Amino acid sequence: MPGTPMPRPTAPVSAGRYGHLFRPGYVHRDLYASPELFAAEMRHLFGNTWVYVGHESEIPQPNDFVMRTVGRRPVILCRKEDGGLSVLLNRCTHRGALVCRTPRGNARHFTCGYHAWTFLNDGRCTGVPLKHAYGSEYDRADQNLRSIAVDAYRGFIFASVSPHVPPLVEHLAGARDFLDQWLDRDGARPVLVQNGDMQFQTHANWKTVYDNAGDGYHPPFSHTSMLRVFADRYGDVDMQYYAKNFDESPLLSKDLGRGHTTLDQRPAMHAESAWRRQHVSPGREALEAALVDRYGAEEALRMLDASTGSGLNLNIFPNLLIIGNQIQMLEPVAVNRTVVRWFSTTLDGAPPEINATRLRLQEDFPSFGEVDDTAQFESCQHGLEDVPELEWVDIRRHMDTGAGRTDTDGYWREPISSDLHLRCYYGAWRRIMEEAAAR
Amino acid sequence: MSDARRTLVPPTRGYFDLDHYGTLAALVQEWRSLGEIPPERLPTAEDHASVCRFLHYEARLLDAARLPEWLALFTDDCVYWLPTDVDGADPRKVVSWEMNDRRRLEERVERLGTGRAYSQAPPTRTTHLYANIEVLTAGVTEVHALCTFLIQTHLAGRVSQRSGSNGFVLRRAGRSWQIVVKRVSLFDADLPQDNNSFTL
Ligand code: FES
Ligand SMILES: [Fe+2]
Repeated sequence: MPGTPMPRPTAPVSAGRYGHLFRPGYVHRDLYASPELFAAEMRHLFGNTWVYVGHESEIPQPNDFVMRTVGRRPVILCRKEDGGLSVLLNRCTHRGALVCRTPRGNARHFTCGYHAWTFLNDGRCTGVPLKHAYGSEYDRADQNLRSIAVDAYRGFIFASVSPHVPPLVEHLAGARDFLDQWLDRDGARPVLVQNGDMQFQTHANWKTVYDNAGDGYHPPFSHTSMLRVFADRYGDVDMQYYAKNFDESPLLSKDLGRGHTTLDQRPAMHAESAWRRQHVSPGREALEAALVDRYGAEEALRMLDASTGSGLNLNIFPNLLIIGNQIQMLEPVAVNRTVVRWFSTTLDGAPPEINATRLRLQEDFPSFGEVDDTAQFESCQHGLEDVPELEWVDIRRHMDTGAGRTDTDGYWREPISSDLHLRCYYGAWRRIMEEAAAR
Repeated sequence: MSDARRTLVPPTRGYFDLDHYGTLAALVQEWRSLGEIPPERLPTAEDHASVCRFLHYEARLLDAARLPEWLALFTDDCVYWLPTDVDGADPRKVVSWEMNDRRRLEERVERLGTGRAYSQAPPTRTTHLYANIEVLTAGVTEVHALCTFLIQTHLAGRVSQRSGSNGFVLRRAGRSWQIVVKRVSLFDADLPQDNNSFTL
């Protein structure tokens, strides 16, 4: 489906409650350093848009649940008895305790540990000990857990605290096309999110992490150590194409609407064979040989190509980042603390050699690259928090070079090193925050 | 980084096949279900002492950031493994923080030696404490060693600890040992982790 051309993000004007935080090509340090602004974001930004909370394959059976957060609010993501989904605010309607305190499990109802009020996994309150003390007039519905809006797109589950949000597919805008492309890589085999996750804690603002996911400028510099080791050993592999003038390369940054963006490296990474470009991972020869044995060289290569990193960073505002074959979920904790959960994926029904290969490949970037990114995030946080004299953060790359154009798929594209990503998502940030302020 | 670099064709290639994973999964199950060490698996006093000496040496190399020497303690068919779970999950099905074969372990050490590994600039200082060391025989040439660890760290002004248990498979090498498996099981591996890009 071709995308609707989006109006270009215009130079922000200093209007509205938050206008003072923006000027053309710059955003204010308070966005990263102010605890008050962080609290406002948790309340108004994360409270007024679709937030990613999990994948359907994490709760496959009736009554499965996982604990998640929506802008710090504890929530329970449940598969109800009838197979439907519910997202409940994990806050007892009595005195506020968490009614669920286990990260995952299977339960038809939750009993609060404090005074034993009991709730079904659709939120209905079914038990209040000694309830005569509330008199005869009380309304049971008052005591139900608050259930918030939930919807899923091809397995990806989103929740919204506010009911005043557009339908999920409308919210996803152009990100939907790219999610489809990501999901359809190996034809019919569904993606499973049942393979554990890595929880990176970074002492930085959540947007510093979000900024980086769309930053096609940093890889050759921040990731020198990784690129150098693999180039020394294996030659022209992985992201070595970053060694050249990468703004002249076919790599690109795209505006997908509503603050969503992508960095697309596929034109370089997948030009021939993704697997052949991929440096050696543990077990590579043995697992490849086993697949070739069983399926023949051509089919083995097709499966391996479809399971090598996707070559795509797909950034779905505000907290879902699809990077390679991983699903990253951002959990803001404090103005200067964020948990980045990297969920691994496998393919349902794929040969065990494919899934083992996927897992080994998904350990690669986190330990050779993400750790260095994290160090940069913490370094930025330090500079932004502790130097009040310098107030502005530069997001000008390719703002005025005229290098952007509408691509054949209808989406606006700029060279890979552009700050397009930041300009796009800050547009969405302002719209949602201002609408909430006006309400 | 000198001699540890550029082992372009390691002697053992791609030995992480499905059977190898099966062996690792069985090893973890054995360790998790272990009761008191059965009498027939008790090592000689001499082996027990030399294993302890060896583990203390290994920890000392890490604390001194002598990584090329540390790497030389590992066999060509080694595993350096940090799971993300605390339930003994099968590495064919669950992602790890690190699941390194010999090549990947060399690459890890090489990366840290480039001078551009920003996660370790400045480097994390560590003090490794190994305690509760238990040694079990495993055939003629190998032993298993289990221990708990506490790693005191300091990174750029932030002091913090890592803790958990290690499982080692050691192979006899003359009067000392080489590491076939080092499995570092952080007691909170499934929860948010700070910068663990130093060598545990
Ligand atoms: S706080 Fe939950 S029952 Fe009282
Ligand atoms: Fe990066």
